[in-house]
Amino acid sequence: MNDEQTRARFESLLLPLMNDAYNLARWLMKNQEDAEDMVQESYLRAFRFFASFHEGSNCRAWFLRIVRNACYTALGARDMKQRQVPLDSEADEIEDTSPLPPVSLAKKATVESVREAIAALPVDFREAVVLRELEGLSYKEISEVSGVPLGTVMSRLARGRHQLYLLLSDRKQHDQL
Amino acid sequence: MNCQECHDYIDAYIDNELDISATILVKQHLRDCLGCQQLLESRKAVGALLDNPQVRFEVPDSLLGRIQSALPVPRSDFKQRSGSRFFIPWFTVPLALAATIAVMLGLVFLNQWGMFDRSRGNALAQEVISSHVRSLLATHLLDVPSTDQHTVKPWFDGKLKFSPPVRDFADQGFRLIGGRLDYINGREVAALVYQRRLHIINLFIWPLESGRNTAAESFTKDGYNVSHWDRDGFELWAVSDVNADDLRAFAGLQMQQS
Repeated sequence: MNDEQTRARFESLLLPLMNDAYNLARWLMKNQEDAEDMVQESYLRAFRFFASFHEGSNCRAWFLRIVRNACYTALGARDMKQRQVPLDSEADEIEDTSPLPPVSLAKKATVESVREAIAALPVDFREAVVLRELEGLSYKEISEVSGVPLGTVMSRLARGRHQLYLLLSDRKQHDQL
Repeated sequence: MNCQECHDYIDAYIDNELDISATILVKQHLRDCLGCQQLLESRKAVGALLDNPQVRFEVPDSLLGRIQSALPVPRSDFKQRSGSRFFIPWFTVPLALAATIAVMLGLVFLNQWGMFDRSRGNALAQEVISSHVRSLLATHLLDVPSTDQHTVKPWFDGKLKFSPPVRDFADQGFRLIGGRLDYINGREVAALVYQRRLHIINLFIWPLESGRNTAAESFTKDGYNVSHWDRDGFELWAVSDVNADDLRAFAGLQMQQS
């Protein structure tokens, strides 16, 4: 394949994934400017490593993994600068996963409040929830993108969803007061 | 199954990621356990809130151009340089002509033997996928945005020489979101657009000479799943990045008698 063909093939495979890539980067970086930089950076990296992409394998998972890693590198650097604890860890999370008395969340929560709740999740859980609920990836694909076993995907999703439920039902109660 | 196990499995259960035997165990436990039913309800409530396309962030318009200009430019000056560096010996011209004629004769021969059906299918698949990709890239996914099959079908009248079958399968998870005119294999075709969760399915339809019906043939190409079949005088091609099972289910629904 010559350069032009490679470029054309790269564009036809990768450009349709820009929505997914941007959305993931936007949720991980939490602001538009950084997300745009990360998506651009990811496209350049993907182009450089395009030869290592195997025909027939899952292009979306391959590319989202690149996006995810670019974001984590940038987040690590950002946190170092701000002298904060690196990335949110799973250790300090709420242990209680017992079901709550039913509070009806649905319908009333605004798009804004849902976005805030997702943004408030620790990065590991946020990543799993975004990949599953907003990007529609299978557990196997999430495990490829995040580089963790299926069991970890499952527990991150469970805890992420549980925290979302807590955050959104709290908000509902606040709104009512 | 006890409650702890049910808690461990409930997310995979909601996401259809459990195998059949575990699914049955969770179902049985849920039938008898109020606490776990509440857990399921809380998960579903969260899922319903997240299942709103507006929660996703829209890509800024400028990003596509920015990325395309950031990618390395392919070296296209190869041809100009090659002219000065190599010369073509005079005798290659008739040789090339003879070779071309031989190849053409061979092609005609193969065509008579029906050897082209497969490559025609490949070329069509490539065209259908390109068309699907274009529809997602450009802001030209829909000419007629409507979830109502009774709006979409008449829209094609007068724009096409045929009237494509238009059906909505929102109840089965494949929501009709509209249609547009497209151009495949040198002819105008109808493109119906369906949504499955966050994925777009393009269904291309054009009339066939013959009225034969065929079973759906499904395959994966360039990361897209493709399924095509002939039905009631139409040739239909569905293409999407949904998983292969979903696309087969979609094809199955489309093939049911209305």
